[in-house]
Amino acid sequence: MKFDILIAGVGGQGVVLASRLLATAAMDAGLHVATAETIGMAQREGSVTSHVRIGDDVCGSLIPQGNADLLIGLEPGEAARNLRFLRKGASIVVNEHAIMPSTQGSEVYDPMQMLEFLKSNCPDIIFADFTGLAKDAGTYRAANVAMIAAAAGAGLLPFSVEYLWNVLEKMIPEKYRDVNRRAYDMAIESVSKTKAASKDQ
Amino acid sequence: MTSKRILMGNEAIAFGAIKAGVQIASGYPGTPSTEVMETIASHAKEYGIYAEWATNEKVALETAVGAAYSGANAMVTMKQVGLNVASDPLMSLSYIGVKGSFVILVSDDPGPHSSQTEQDTRAFGHFANIPVFDPATPQEAYNMTKLAFKLSHEMETPVILRTTTRVSHGSSDVLIEDLSPVFRDMEGFVKDTRWTIFPKLTAQRHPLLEELQITMSDRFSEYFADNSFNSVSKGSSKIGIAASGVSYLYAKEAIRNHPGTFSVFKAGTVYPFPENAALEFLKDINELIVVEELDPYLEEQFLQVAGKYHLNVNIHGKKDGSFPVSGEYDVDVVIDGVNRVLEDINSDISPLTHSEPAISQNDIPPLPVRAPTLCAGCMHRTVFYAFKKAAAKLRSQKGVDSVFSGDIGCYTLGNAKPLEMVNTCLCMGAGISIAAGLSQTQEYRGTQKAKQVSFIGDSTFFHSGIAAVISAVYNNADITIAVLDNRTTAMTGHQPHPGIGLTALGFPAKIIDIADVLKSCGVGMVKTIEMDTLDECMDMATEAMEFEGPSAIVFKGNCVAICKGQGQYLVDEDKCTGCGLCISQLGCPAIFSISSGLPVIQDTCSGCGLCAEICPSDAIVLREVLQ
Repeated sequence: MKFDILIAGVGGQGVVLASRLLATAAMDAGLHVATAETIGMAQREGSVTSHVRIGDDVCGSLIPQGNADLLIGLEPGEAARNLRFLRKGASIVVNEHAIMPSTQGSEVYDPMQMLEFLKSNCPDIIFADFTGLAKDAGTYRAANVAMIAAAAGAGLLPFSVEYLWNVLEKMIPEKYRDVNRRAYDMAIESVSKTKAASKDQ
Repeated sequence: MTSKRILMGNEAIAFGAIKAGVQIASGYPGTPSTEVMETIASHAKEYGIYAEWATNEKVALETAVGAAYSGANAMVTMKQVGLNVASDPLMSLSYIGVKGSFVILVSDDPGPHSSQTEQDTRAFGHFANIPVFDPATPQEAYNMTKLAFKLSHEMETPVILRTTTRVSHGSSDVLIEDLSPVFRDMEGFVKDTRWTIFPKLTAQRHPLLEELQITMSDRFSEYFADNSFNSVSKGSSKIGIAASGVSYLYAKEAIRNHPGTFSVFKAGTVYPFPENAALEFLKDINELIVVEELDPYLEEQFLQVAGKYHLNVNIHGKKDGSFPVSGEYDVDVVIDGVNRVLEDINSDISPLTHSEPAISQNDIPPLPVRAPTLCAGCMHRTVFYAFKKAAAKLRSQKGVDSVFSGDIGCYTLGNAKPLEMVNTCLCMGAGISIAAGLSQTQEYRGTQKAKQVSFIGDSTFFHSGIAAVISAVYNNADITIAVLDNRTTAMTGHQPHPGIGLTALGFPAKIIDIADVLKSCGVGMVKTIEMDTLDECMDMATEAMEFEGPSAIVFKGNCVAICKGQGQYLVDEDKCTGCGLCISQLGCPAIFSISSGLPVIQDTCSGCGLCAEICPSDAIVLREVLQ
């Protein structure tokens, strides 16, 4: 078994915590895991990625192109930037909430166009305004937890939802636990609604 | 009893050190090495360890050396460029050796992600005659740290544990033992002529040092017998692959679909090069492919062995253009490199294949450009902007240009557009000296006079700024020093330093006041300002720049990543004229313009109010005021 997850976002969105949560849940589920994270200068509002490789025989921590089974994009442009990592038939969970770059580059980046591109090119895509959802839960900062919850709720992770929930309880500091629990529940609920709606169609 | 935990490589190293009985650890923060010391410090009380942040890597190394001279298990941590700072004591230490044990953790940064250089500590170990371990995974890092302490004690030599970013900042499930450390009984310092380096002692020690390199090379060849850190696997072809560290994993994955084809030589102990094992390996090899990031270190070692023993083997790597000479590697880079070699030698082995991406990257609409930038609300932005305005005034009123020399830290990001306030940046502490040099050149060459300004952070000031200040004052350089004091070592993740009254272990400490230091160094004008309004900062900047001779201002504020500001601003659309000044002048990541041309302030606003201060229409207001 091997399962490669790429998490992409902008420095400050909690990409490192998201990969830590996934890695710990995978280990608790009895799997091997190796991650690579972006720590340091690029964290200051730059493009950041976390590679999370799960399996029986994990090699290096960087996912080769065309290998990722799941892409979690905390920002539409950052999801698109990393599409080369996706294998055929992979799933993608993307946050509709765009972060506009300051000053430079804002004239070329069109988040709506980017979302349309992602939707028309990735057959297995889940998208929602996870930042808005997190904000409703209490803080926009919980978008990372909402997104991995959505992936879990949609059955996209190679371990059961309980492992992720337990890790959340264990690793999130008491002070922030309630708001993250709310974001988690709301995200799970939102994907189950989406799934039900797509079944109806 | 063992347990499995998700550990970052740096945490695994810290736990390996604790298990090995480290008694004293010193270091200076630097990406990607920082978490080693942080982890040791956070467990120090529990295990009875002394840990500290020193002012710089040289001081850290010397401090740990003192402990090792007393028979302690000592460790020092730094990033690769920190080793340059610490190289003076290190080069001498190899002659002297140690008594207890002494492990030097140095993290390299291929890419580079967060560094000035792509230097290779394996080559540095070679230069300094100090053994180098190169782990590939966090698990190996844990195990090798323990071995490093053991070998250091046994051979009475310092040992370098060298990591790269993907080992230091990669996490994986690591099997660790019960961490109760076994401390060495410290004999204490025993007076002996061996501790005092002197030309005569060096002359005596040098042949022994060279002999030790051969002994250790032989030892490292023997390590191949148990296939743990060093290993060889035989393949069916006459083609071999040699790698060390994380590159070994990329190679292993790259050739996964060719099982048993290539022979593989994996070195974990890279210096002294395990020559006997390499010679044995090359016996069945006609073509050797060396896979390594940074320097062609292994490649050169193999070339030397091939030449020395007149072996009939071609060696491929960076030197024949098969592999990139710089940058970080990954599986795809290795596949391309191996395929280049297979093609060059007309091999009948089928090329390695890349996995096909599902979506072509070419079809993607234009991507946002995201260079790293100062955080929304960062105090440095206000200081940079104040100096920019003050410099413009100086230019328009007196025709004097200004040059801004930067330094290493978050504030290096002041180089980015639209601020563009870093005209030079070289290494830790260089801003002040370079500014002084630029000013002296004007004196003697008669070039057009410009005001020389240097920016330096608080931790960097203590690291290597002070000697530069003294030199500038002594030689009466006409410079202005702006100390950006946000009361933390911000870029590396907020470590304490001598200016904030706290030690690495969380104990209260004497506060070294930067302004007092500047005054006692004889700087003619020294002022301190608690960050408040832009106007105040601008007045201060102007006053300092107009001062003849060395002047300094300490700008004191808080790092917005720790102390979130009060309130948030938004744009009053009724008042905003869409002039765009707030965007074009500041480069704050919380502000962007929407298609209507009006600026929008995002949730990441931390309420510094700089944009409100410069808005000519008073259209940027606190949220609670408008709502």
